[in-house]
Amino acid sequence: MNARVKDGARAAGFMAALSITLITCIAALSLATAGRVKRNAALFLQKAVMEVAGETVPDNPDAVAEWFSASVKPDPPESPNMYRVYGDDKSIPRALVYKRDAQGLWGSITAVVGFDPMRQTFLETRFIEHNETPGLGARISEEWFTRQTAGKTGPFKLVPEGTGSPAPTEIDAVTGATVTSSAVRDMLNKLLQEIKETQP
Amino acid sequence: MTAIRDWKLFKENLGTQNPVFVQVLGICSTLAVTNVLKNTLVMCLGLIFVTSLSNLSLSLLRAWIPSRIRMMAEVLIIASLVIIVDICLKAYYPEISRQLGPYVGLIITNCIIMGRAEAVALTSPPRTALIDGISSGIGYSYVLLLIACCRELLGTGGIWGARLLGQSWTNWSIMVMAPGGFFVLAVFIWIVKGWIMRPATEKAEA
Repeated sequence: MNARVKDGARAAGFMAALSITLITCIAALSLATAGRVKRNAALFLQKAVMEVAGETVPDNPDAVAEWFSASVKPDPPESPNMYRVYGDDKSIPRALVYKRDAQGLWGSITAVVGFDPMRQTFLETRFIEHNETPGLGARISEEWFTRQTAGKTGPFKLVPEGTGSPAPTEIDAVTGATVTSSAVRDMLNKLLQEIKETQP
Repeated sequence: MTAIRDWKLFKENLGTQNPVFVQVLGICSTLAVTNVLKNTLVMCLGLIFVTSLSNLSLSLLRAWIPSRIRMMAEVLIIASLVIIVDICLKAYYPEISRQLGPYVGLIITNCIIMGRAEAVALTSPPRTALIDGISSGIGYSYVLLLIACCRELLGTGGIWGARLLGQSWTNWSIMVMAPGGFFVLAVFIWIVKGWIMRPATEKAEA
């Protein structure tokens, strides 16, 4: 009996010691990189807003952050779902960039969608977060897909990939990713609806 | 003497004892990540890192690990190493981390790591265990990279994002979908076992 208790205690002690050691290492690494991870996420959003607004994105991350704080007004400031981008003229925005979510095949998709200041036509779109299948749904991040909303009015319907439709209410779907493409289409249409309803 | 044995182990893990096409381990990730070459490469580097370090650390600890809880200890160490890879990718290579998404975490479930830990790390000195871990990782990696090249080329008409096949090429979408992984892997195993490895086994039997 005593031997069994001793054996058990030894096993439990070993596991506890191993767990504590490993968890400490991971926690330390996680804390050490937390700032970096947060900065990366913020930078990615800033770059996306910049691209949608039609600016050329500089390689230097500091320059991106500087541009963002100088020319973008988040709304509401605490947890923004819209960004007003100003040019040299600070009285009227040059572009309006909305942050919206959609439900994709594997999880939520977060996108930033641009509008001209009159809220009449779309600008480009960027996807800042998604878990879609690489090679299929994940191709929504490809340039041809994100560029195609520019200059269109919506509401959108999908046409087969490769159509390259110039029609103001059509966007090409991604072949093999119907669920993802439809989710993006619905997100764009819902945003358009929302804008029309709130517009004076 | 040990050097010769280690070298033999190294060669076996790349060829006659290859984890993917001989032991048929780690098939889950072989099928899942091989549709884009870039993701495959990162996955392979992650796996080499995890197998080699888990083998090394388990071998160093093998005298102290009580045998009845050895699997718990193995999983704990492997999972920690994978989380380290994930955190480093998130912090230093956010783009790649974004693309790989959940796959990095799935390195934990790769049977190769557990298999090598059980078969080699717990019974061998650290040097042998480390060499075994690295060579298993490389054996896994080159198979995956070959499969990824095939799938990306046929499925998207290019490799590493650069288009190689002309505009007249129609992409085989199925190649980047899950069934494509099964087809390419099956053909690969067929070629290797039927044409490359069979003469060797026949000679051994004779």
